Amino acid sequence: MSFLSLLVNEPGRQVLMSGNEAITRGAIEAGLSYAASYPGSPTAEIVTNLGRLAKTHELYAEWSVNEKVAIEEAAGASFTGLRSLCVVKHNGLNVALDSLVSISIGGVKAGMVLVVGDDPAAHSSTNEEDSRLISKVAHLPILEPSTPEEAKQMTLAAYTLSERVQLPVTLRCVTRLSHGSGNVTLSLIQPANKKPVFKKEDRFVTHVAFHQAQEIKLAKIREAADTLPFNTYTGPEDAKTIIIASGPSSLYALEAVQALGLAGEVGVLKLGITWPLPEKFLLKHMKHAEKVIFIEEIEPFNEENVMALAAQHMTDIYPIQFFGQHSGHVAGPKGPGLGEMDPDIVKRSIARVMDTGVAEAEAAVATTNAVSAAGVPSAGIPEREMAFCAGCPHRASFWAMKSALALDGRNGVVLGDIGCYSLALRRTGWSLPQTMHAMGSGAGIANGLGKLDMFGFNQPVIAVVGDSTFFHATIPALINARYTSSNFMLVVLDNETTAMTGHQPHPGLNKNAMGEDVQGIAMEDVVRGLNIPVSIHDPYDVKGTVETVYKLLQSEGAKVLILRRVCALLAAKAETRPRVYVNQDQCIGDDCGCNRFCSTTFSCPATIWDPKKGKAVIDEVVCNRCQVCVSLCPQGAIKVEGGDQVAR
Amino acid sequence: MEQLRMSLRLKQEVMDTEACTRCGLCVGLCPYIKTMNERIAFIHDCSREDGNCYQVCPRTPTDWATLDQAVFGEARTDQVLGNYAQILYARSLDRGTGESGQYGGVVSALAAFMVESGESEAAVVTRGEESGPPTPVVARTREEILAASGSKYSASPTLSALNEGVRQGLNNLTVIGRPCQVLGLRKMQSLTGVSEHNLSARQVNFTIGLFCFWSLDTKVYSLFEQKTEGKAVRKIDIPQNFVVLTTDAGEVQIPVDEVREYIRPTCLRCFDPTAEFADVAVGSTEHDPQWNTLIVRTAKGKEVVERAVAEGRLEIKDYPAARLPLLLTAVNNKKQRVVDGMARGEAGYEYLILNSASFAAAGRED
Repeated sequence: MSFLSLLVNEPGRQVLMSGNEAITRGAIEAGLSYAASYPGSPTAEIVTNLGRLAKTHELYAEWSVNEKVAIEEAAGASFTGLRSLCVVKHNGLNVALDSLVSISIGGVKAGMVLVVGDDPAAHSSTNEEDSRLISKVAHLPILEPSTPEEAKQMTLAAYTLSERVQLPVTLRCVTRLSHGSGNVTLSLIQPANKKPVFKKEDRFVTHVAFHQAQEIKLAKIREAADTLPFNTYTGPEDAKTIIIASGPSSLYALEAVQALGLAGEVGVLKLGITWPLPEKFLLKHMKHAEKVIFIEEIEPFNEENVMALAAQHMTDIYPIQFFGQHSGHVAGPKGPGLGEMDPDIVKRSIARVMDTGVAEAEAAVATTNAVSAAGVPSAGIPEREMAFCAGCPHRASFWAMKSALALDGRNGVVLGDIGCYSLALRRTGWSLPQTMHAMGSGAGIANGLGKLDMFGFNQPVIAVVGDSTFFHATIPALINARYTSSNFMLVVLDNETTAMTGHQPHPGLNKNAMGEDVQGIAMEDVVRGLNIPVSIHDPYDVKGTVETVYKLLQSEGAKVLILRRVCALLAAKAETRPRVYVNQDQCIGDDCGCNRFCSTTFSCPATIWDPKKGKAVIDEVVCNRCQVCVSLCPQGAIKVEGGDQVAR
Repeated sequence: MEQLRMSLRLKQEVMDTEACTRCGLCVGLCPYIKTMNERIAFIHDCSREDGNCYQVCPRTPTDWATLDQAVFGEARTDQVLGNYAQILYARSLDRGTGESGQYGGVVSALAAFMVESGESEAAVVTRGEESGPPTPVVARTREEILAASGSKYSASPTLSALNEGVRQGLNNLTVIGRPCQVLGLRKMQSLTGVSEHNLSARQVNFTIGLFCFWSLDTKVYSLFEQKTEGKAVRKIDIPQNFVVLTTDAGEVQIPVDEVREYIRPTCLRCFDPTAEFADVAVGSTEHDPQWNTLIVRTAKGKEVVERAVAEGRLEIKDYPAARLPLLLTAVNNKKQRVVDGMARGEAGYEYLILNSASFAAAGRED
């Protein structure tokens, strides 16, 4: 789908959209005024698109400094009567949790929708986490779309629901929903209140006194849950076996039942709202079932909530047996609750429950695989290593840090962080970081290690963060370091963008989410303001970076080194790109002592080994022209000509 | 027995045990060994089975008798001072080298002579800095050589500059180095059966060895900075029992005992205080500050010294007979301490392969 179809105001027209685009469209149709987010996969594209739609749709879209601020902003807009949206990924919801719990207690006014992107199997995350548990803690209703069409409809419904009970409503997405595409039927873009007023009589306050009100709101939604159109049942009305599923897992369940030839005996109950539960609807179908199978991703959230409901009504629905993660029947190759669901896993899981269906399940899996294999030339596609991109400045930065630490010789510790640079934990970053947790955690851990000298700890400590992470979650750790005189070096790998999630701007840059020129904040000014020494260096100058890191490691106290070089993927868009190549006369192959340094050790994907010639060559299609290899080749065999050459 | 890769052996046997002399010869042979602040480190395991780095290191096993044959074509004739043709007093007649040079300025005079006469394209030298450790330099001109004159007392990895110079295409180089550095050069020059690539020592056509009884850790520069109150140090000397730092504001004296803690342990296991494998070896006379001790060792050394004298660059005279026993005693004592350590089975001497022709224990004379 093109971005422009988000703009079309033709009710009834069908357009192919990704889940993220469908949510964007749903918010627009609902008359959204205010959107705030911190970029995170799989839901980063929503605010990217809203930023582009800001002018035409009279809305405000923002990349906030972090999720806590984003959720507070969205609440603020809601307090004034504007419909608002906050978009986060699962880790982001953790960051926002404190505020989320409080905002829920105090309540909101205009519809506020919280889109949370969960990433089962962690395709673009450090971990897989089921955010539904967090939303439940915060007493928020949870809607789980299974298709883009449903995602759009649920977005609209979420605003209505939010306004009915004055609670934010969670729209829980998973990667397959956000990134998968399907037909979406456009509705009218509703006229909306765009006149914010903070009324004199309005109060939004967190206090234990409002806990009761919060429970009453949830009870209202529990009543309404049974009437929502998103809960469906497919199958015989007297099925002895039913599957309870939500999100894309419900589609896998429908497919598996068909493939196994069980459509006549197994029903599929799809939950559109997973908290609070549509209790009457569930009890109605559990009454005719003797076996219930739960298909869901990550945690046994529905499984536990439905089992609790069943326990309460056991006399009505007995006899009944439950199968899922707890029983061990529903499990992927890694085990229950680990990784994503897919149709094959669901087929095998159902077969395990149905006892006799194992052979049929394997046959069905084989048939599906044969069909997909016919269309996909999987053989011959080389495995791709998780590695820094060609020309990535982080590769040079980590090599320089590795070198400086070896030269320092005191077993220095590198504390990692989340971002592109988390790839440094892999081979091509020489596994340099020894820790990686949440955004900014490395700087916090460094604070701790930096105070251990009284116990005789003398290993130097480097915490690594990105530029966006610096603003997001690192500044308090720096304040702490200054206050406690902790001894460590913070290295900011400043590639002048939020690269990992798709090059969104951040507070250090002169653009905002809507493409407007703004005045960015120089992080060095922030550091200087804390009276912490700060140095800036270009990581492409590897030798100079090694010297700088080494020198700083010899100094006491907290210090910051900014390694600043724009992301190679942005730089690669430059028009006058030089050519970088290996002079085949100068490369002496395995006669060199380097043991294929460029292709094997420095491991830039653009530098490859020509086994026929026994020499290195540069794949000029892949090369992003960073020219770092030019300075590192011990033979000086790598040459650069024409274009904008990196000064050295 | 499974043999470790040579590169890893260098790390484990030399670097991790602090046996490294910081000669610098392995630095820059490959992209994996780097130096900073006179420390030499493996950045990354190169995974090579072979490794010239291990074979040329002055602290990996070295057969003294084999090296005598390789350098001099004969067995050792003097078990204390090593092979030599002449032992002399010498001083520079080259105006300029006398002022900045140590004592007689012989080292700078000979290096400048080699470069100015065109016999060497450049000299690999160690240039002192106003504060902190000195810098290895490839000196292409007389001025650059003179700028590096004067003794340094820490273990600068000078030979890293040799590797850099050869990579830049220089040939026929003069090297001024400590005995360990000369030892490394000779090991590399006599390597056989390896790839010819990167054998920088083969581009060296003259070696000037420096007498060296020990070197100091770079931490000593903090002490110097403290003692001089941060003033630029123009010259360092250790004439007798004091380290004398010359600054623009005058001399600062530090008792030698105060710097002993900075002596590198590997220096105490050194068997070669007089650069036994150099073409010529130069040191102080411990007696007359106007002159240097000059040991002319090889035929090449003899030829260069004779030409320098003939061209009026160098003045020589006989080594005073009365002084020779003092030199012999000092060198013998150091060697005896090493041999005693080996006899006690202490660690750190594994690199030394000596036979009776290399050293006949004469007992220590105090």
